[in-house]
Amino acid sequence: MRKEIITLNRRGLLKGASALGATAALSMPHIARAQDNPLRGKSIHMSILGIAGWVPSRLGVDLAPDFAKMAKDKYGYDVTFSYAEAPFSQLFQKAATSLATRSQEYNIIISDSQWLGALAQPKWILPLDPVIKKNPALDVEWYAPVVEAAYQIYPDGTKKRWGFPQEGDTMGLYIRKDLLEAPGEAAAFQQKYGRKLPMTWEDFEQLSFDDFVKLIAFFNRPEKGYNGFGGQYSREYDFISCPSMSVMRSTGGDVWDPSTGQIEGIFNSSSNAKALKSWVDLLKYQPPSAINYGIGELIDAFAQGKVFSAMQWCAVGPAMIPDALKDKVMVVPPPGFPDKSGKLVRNYIIGGQPWVINAFNDPDHMQVAIDFMEWWYQPETSLSYAQHGGNPCDKATLSRPDFDAMHPWYRTYKYMLNYSSDFWHDPAYAEMLSTQQEAMTAYATGQIKDPQHALDYAACRQQKILFDEGVATKQPSGACTGMRL
Amino acid sequence: MRLASKASSPPRRRQSFTEFLGRREVMPFLLLVPVLIFFIIWNTIPTLWLLGLSFYRFSLTSGRPPIFAGFYNFDSILNDSAVWLGLSRTFLFVILAVGIETVLGLLLGLLFWGSQKLPGRRVALTLLFTPMVLTPVASGTFWRLIYDPTFGILGSIFRGLGLPSLNFLGDAHLAFGAVLLVDIWMWTPFMVLMTLAALASVPKAELEAAEIDQLSWWQRLRLVILYHGKFILMLGILLRTIDAFKTMDLIYDMTFGGPGSTTEVIAITLYRRAFEDFTMGWSSALAVILLLISIAFTATFIFVLHSRDRKQASLAEEGA
Amino acid sequence: MTTWRRHLYHLLLWLIALVFFAPVAWIILSSFKTANQILAVPPVWIFRPTLANYVRVLSDPGMVHSFINSIVLSVTSVLIAVAVAFLAAFSFSRFKPPGTNFLMFLLLSIRMLPGSAAILPVYLMYVGFGWKDSYWALILFYAMFSIPFSVWILKGFIDGVSPRFDETGRVNGASWLSIIAKLIFPQVLPGVIAALIFNFIFVWNEFLFDYIIGGPHTTNVPTALSTGLYSGGGVDWTFVSCVTTLYILPPIVIVYVFQRYLLVGMTFGTVRGEV
Repeated sequence: MRKEIITLNRRGLLKGASALGATAALSMPHIARAQDNPLRGKSIHMSILGIAGWVPSRLGVDLAPDFAKMAKDKYGYDVTFSYAEAPFSQLFQKAATSLATRSQEYNIIISDSQWLGALAQPKWILPLDPVIKKNPALDVEWYAPVVEAAYQIYPDGTKKRWGFPQEGDTMGLYIRKDLLEAPGEAAAFQQKYGRKLPMTWEDFEQLSFDDFVKLIAFFNRPEKGYNGFGGQYSREYDFISCPSMSVMRSTGGDVWDPSTGQIEGIFNSSSNAKALKSWVDLLKYQPPSAINYGIGELIDAFAQGKVFSAMQWCAVGPAMIPDALKDKVMVVPPPGFPDKSGKLVRNYIIGGQPWVINAFNDPDHMQVAIDFMEWWYQPETSLSYAQHGGNPCDKATLSRPDFDAMHPWYRTYKYMLNYSSDFWHDPAYAEMLSTQQEAMTAYATGQIKDPQHALDYAACRQQKILFDEGVATKQPSGACTGMRL
Repeated sequence: MRLASKASSPPRRRQSFTEFLGRREVMPFLLLVPVLIFFIIWNTIPTLWLLGLSFYRFSLTSGRPPIFAGFYNFDSILNDSAVWLGLSRTFLFVILAVGIETVLGLLLGLLFWGSQKLPGRRVALTLLFTPMVLTPVASGTFWRLIYDPTFGILGSIFRGLGLPSLNFLGDAHLAFGAVLLVDIWMWTPFMVLMTLAALASVPKAELEAAEIDQLSWWQRLRLVILYHGKFILMLGILLRTIDAFKTMDLIYDMTFGGPGSTTEVIAITLYRRAFEDFTMGWSSALAVILLLISIAFTATFIFVLHSRDRKQASLAEEGA
Repeated sequence: MTTWRRHLYHLLLWLIALVFFAPVAWIILSSFKTANQILAVPPVWIFRPTLANYVRVLSDPGMVHSFINSIVLSVTSVLIAVAVAFLAAFSFSRFKPPGTNFLMFLLLSIRMLPGSAAILPVYLMYVGFGWKDSYWALILFYAMFSIPFSVWILKGFIDGVSPRFDETGRVNGASWLSIIAKLIFPQVLPGVIAALIFNFIFVWNEFLFDYIIGGPHTTNVPTALSTGLYSGGGVDWTFVSCVTTLYILPPIVIVYVFQRYLLVGMTFGTVRGEV
């Protein structure tokens, strides 16, 4: 873990100065508050645990000096930040091994959305409803209902809140516009497939999965050093699961029944098996190493120009579009799946991370954490976050007329918030995920031949995990005995 | 001699505390106090903790206290196909890795036998032995890049030779072999080292005698070299076996146990269940089972060691 | 052997050594490249070396902190381990107290356990006692893990020193302490060195324990390497190659300087001799 003491860099300083100007104008009534603030004059060090190499996590901390300025100004205390980080696949371990010891090692943690259950159930993180009641500024109006459901609520269906959205995130399809618009391509495509080459954002909104396959097949040109597509297939963390489950749900399937904890019979449906197969079949149009692609590897491939298109999180936009590819990339909604009536359906997995607050913080650190949250959702912070390339979730910022044009992926991000949802918020999340990743990659890599077999295996094991946990009402069925990969 | 030492402490005088500590009955235990403290705090207590917890259902993230479950965890492990596959994969890995490393190490060791006059021998041996002392995290990660079909140097070499560019770590049929190769790269030098030690233990006279008797190359190896060197080689093989059984970081950093479960050795399974899933009860039970396996390995190691000592003792008697 | 055959033979030996070293050489070479040069296809062989990666790593306070941690953790724990092990080995060797064989056996079996199994109960205990992310708790655990190995090596060496030495010392009225320090220790110095350097290399390269029972204060370089892999999106290969190159220097120097102790070290002291 790299640990860094945050210093004011030049950009932060400028930002800070402008924020200072803004607060100075607005904050006359706060001066009284600064004098009677119990933390006044104190010096507090906050430690944030975030996702390594994840631009939006990093941004949350890069902006923190602005908060320090404001805190000094408004509340009269000094605050410094250090940032500890771990990759996705290790962050939960890092947080959980520490929180289990009731440690204050990390005061604020950037958690992945599905971990809320595992962090909330043992009461490691602070329940937020009383906090929000006391600080109405934290009762932010979100852009879409999924924000609250994915980043705040546990258990599903209740109103109990545990997290604040840090980074909103959805999937997007990154397209190399320069290759797409190259002369002659449209005509050649028309001739080969008898249909128009999708060119605009609106064209892609109407793009069905089958037509998408034609598109990437058309642009699959290994002889020219690039392939048609890049997706995520790695066994690490949730990399193969997110896109596969997105296809499953967009084609009418589901992954579980949250009310009864039932997995078997739902997750291993034949339509889900078909969905898994169609995601794996796309490997034909990808570089040979795509089978190991996680988020990072896919960024490398796209940014190095090895693929024409990539299905990737909107959160990594800044890394996907380096200076060399500036203005050469468009981000569009990932393909839709026609239902019986022919209407395109998109029901993708949502990404993104909430902030959660360590429940073992002492009162001082707790207060600073809450002040920090309040600052984070101030319109100017939100806007500054957006300008730096983060994805805020509040309605005010997302509804700004200039929002869509701020970054190439913003229009798609906003659009997809309406077509995305989360999967299991359950304490056994990690265990269920690792068995599913194992099964799916077993199929994707050819260890087993039948996608149905992979899903049966995962469903049986997940059913047992949830039954042992007391969440599922039914035991794994007899068909599960002796099931193996 | 012993009598002399006893006589040296004068009788019937009130002993000072230091003298008391220096007495033959007290001294041995006193010297052991530090190691026993370490042993009790960092071994006995945790092991008892582990044993106890292996009989409970307990997940660190459930927020519920442990529930006594008798042999439920053990039963669940023994009926889990993934555990059995993991164990058999681990043993396959151990057998192949140690087998290949031994043969290769023996061959290279024999080759290096006459290298005393090699210019820059010490540097050459340092280069040869470096893979052993590289931190597995670094070698595992970097081999991932070397193996990468798009960016990796191996892929480039293959393409340069006109061979298909293979996806070593991504293909379910190749990954196990690819991981094995890295272990072989890392640990063959160790078997070279052991072979050189074994060769050094062969009496020169017997080698000369073999030369005079015009024994064939194979006979010399079997009758002279292996006869004298077999214990050292045996120890080398055992140490490698134990170490290969423990392999985790190296594989985890290359493949995370994947693709599918093709490289998931049992140490990785345990790591996942304990520190990714936090199912502590189940994991404790698996750790207890691995502890029993390790004890069996240790017993074998010590048995071989003792048989060597007996052999040497009898040789010494013959010599006398 | 004719001269050219000998040259050929020597060339072959050097080639073998270089083949084993090649991946490490590739890492070192990469550490002087830019990110794009590392990922270049086909690989870049001739390039203008850059020190930018080193500047970046060495000016990162977090990374420097990890390097210091690695040194502190390995040196302290190894010194403690060898001191404790020396006393125990002396006792085992000279007095053979009841249970010697059993204890030696138990000690060794700790080292034979897969890391994840060994750390699990210790983690649970540290959770219970609140010892996580503490230097001492980590150092003492590393010491514990280094003790078995050291006891095994040192017992073998002390066994090799004739008890007549101590008896002579006793007769002359020397205390046990001075016998150990003045008579035994100098004779078993090679064993002590072997124990020191091999435990050092073990702790130096150790990842899992630091990762699980350490924390932000005690992060060593392997842990920092494993968690710092990704940055700005993809795997940060310049970071990996540069940190690895810096980190591998001490072990390489040790292998070069202490080559004659290698054998003793790697076999728990059960095999001695030079290669």
